[in-house]
Amino acid sequence: MTNRARQVLRIARKEWLLLLRNPHGLVVLFLMPAAFILVMSFALKNTLSSASVPLPATGWVVEDGGRIAATWSGDWIGRHGGQRFETRDALREALRERRVQAGVVVLPQWLDDQGAPRADRVELWLSNRVQPSSAGRLRADIGISLLQARVNIAAARAGPFASVLLDSSNNNGAIGSPTTRYLYEIDSGRKMTAVQQSVPAWLIFGMFFVVIPIAGVLIQERNDGTLTRIATFGVRPAAVLAGKLVAFMGLNGIQLLCMLLVGRWLVPALGGDALYLDLHFGWFALMVFVTSAAAVGLALLIAAWTRNFEHAAALGGGANVLLAALAGIMVPRPLMPPGMQAVSEASPMGWALDGMQVVFLGSPDAAQVLPKALLLAGFALACLALAWRGIRRG
Amino acid sequence: MTPALLSATGLRYRYPEQQEPALQGVDMSLARGEALGLLGPNGSGKSTLLSLLLGLRAPQGGSIARHGAPVVAWVPQEYAFYPQMTCLENLRFFVSMLGLPAAEAGVRVEGVVAACQLEEFTGRQARHCSGGVRRRLNIAIALLQKPDVLLLDEPTVGVDPQSRAFLLDQVRQLVQHGTAVVYATHYMEEVAGVCKRILLLDHGKVLADGDLQTLLRGDGDDGGFDTLEALFMHYTHRSLRE
Repeated sequence: MTNRARQVLRIARKEWLLLLRNPHGLVVLFLMPAAFILVMSFALKNTLSSASVPLPATGWVVEDGGRIAATWSGDWIGRHGGQRFETRDALREALRERRVQAGVVVLPQWLDDQGAPRADRVELWLSNRVQPSSAGRLRADIGISLLQARVNIAAARAGPFASVLLDSSNNNGAIGSPTTRYLYEIDSGRKMTAVQQSVPAWLIFGMFFVVIPIAGVLIQERNDGTLTRIATFGVRPAAVLAGKLVAFMGLNGIQLLCMLLVGRWLVPALGGDALYLDLHFGWFALMVFVTSAAAVGLALLIAAWTRNFEHAAALGGGANVLLAALAGIMVPRPLMPPGMQAVSEASPMGWALDGMQVVFLGSPDAAQVLPKALLLAGFALACLALAWRGIRRG
Repeated sequence: MTPALLSATGLRYRYPEQQEPALQGVDMSLARGEALGLLGPNGSGKSTLLSLLLGLRAPQGGSIARHGAPVVAWVPQEYAFYPQMTCLENLRFFVSMLGLPAAEAGVRVEGVVAACQLEEFTGRQARHCSGGVRRRLNIAIALLQKPDVLLLDEPTVGVDPQSRAFLLDQVRQLVQHGTAVVYATHYMEEVAGVCKRILLLDHGKVLADGDLQTLLRGDGDDGGFDTLEALFMHYTHRSLRE
């Protein structure tokens, strides 16, 4: 081993020693992403699932005094459950007290001139906490039920033969929800789950937070003259950078192992879905390597060009949160409008998330992974070159 | 006359963001076993001269000659080590940067621990040591290089009289053993106690360079000085600096 390589390894070892004596840095790097994985795996459980979501507990107020409205609402409550209320105020109170999550108000003159039910005479009330997917299901279900009622009324008028053909009890299979599958499920045969989304997303977020310990040490070294002193021992700035790169890329590797353990064992132990881990090792290693290089490169760049730790922590922390918001880490991309989804594809964390999700969720191939890996590698090299200039500047 | 280990001729340096040059044609030389007191007000160019002698900056004019490839080490004014690491971990880290065989590195660490009387503090994190111990560690790290030339920049700032006396004794011993020393400070009594020669800088120029006693006696016009401080004030005047 050459003397330069030994210097790099000694500097890396020193970085680890300093990190182990910095409990705040360890909390940021390990506990924070693990906590986010746990929280988001449960918070997004229904949102990202393609499985059928439950209907919200629903209250009914039927203001139309007709027999058909009473029969229709009674049928619905009989099939899905629900609660009747005498007045709108009673329904509103129940929503406030969270006894029900949604309400259906059937307005007077519900039937049109031909005696068919009108959708615009039905109001759907939602509590402030009802999940969008549950609300969507209720809206669809009420819509289908109204259509069914219209058809049944028309069939009843047409005669007994049509009435038998369109009996609602025979139509449940035809008008139920179709099987829904995300592309990853089609590609990989696995279910899309919130934990499958959360582990790569918050792992990337945690990896980029190496900016905090890196800036803490590098700025202290520069301001105390320790970097200059190291230079008088014949150590070049490139060796200092390389030592930090080796140390923190190794640290990113340990973060990765911990987050995989959280997704694989801790989340299911608490009642969530387990992370699938039958990854293609080569693509997985490539994505982890370039993501880590980009994260450490950006951290070194910020640390090398800021004058004090407060400045670096504010800039680094703020930049990470902004990049994470843009990339679809904080708000998953399926929840973003198309314009924001396009923006999110132009950020380093977005490249990392794209590549990692392909590796974690589907069957990766070169066309999907390599472009993102190359973008991240280019970003890492540009950051490291600028960081090297900053360190040389002193 | 003892041959110079390190000599500089016509050194010039100006920082990019500053109008005034930091050094304007500075000449100096340093022989083995010589202690040179480097004096000057704040902003006079002392630190710039030290960084040029260390090779951290290249002179923009003039030249520096090193005779016999001397090892030049530096004791900065700041505590330039890792406060979260123990004294021994710091020494081991810095000695590992020299690329020495493990046995030789161990001997050097033991040597500087003994020389700077750090034995009882080796296992203590530097941030938990007193100012005096930290100053000794600061010097010990430089001594790991076994320097032929030692550049000390305000090495006794913020220490108690006992630690200061110890540090000055240590510098005297180094000089006796043949190490060439440049001692930059604002404490005149330290220079008077350690150095036989002084170099007085101001506005990047050498105002006085020579044997301390000769300079104190003065030439015919100066009429001599009672103290080094009087000599210093005579050359640099009383106007306050940045």
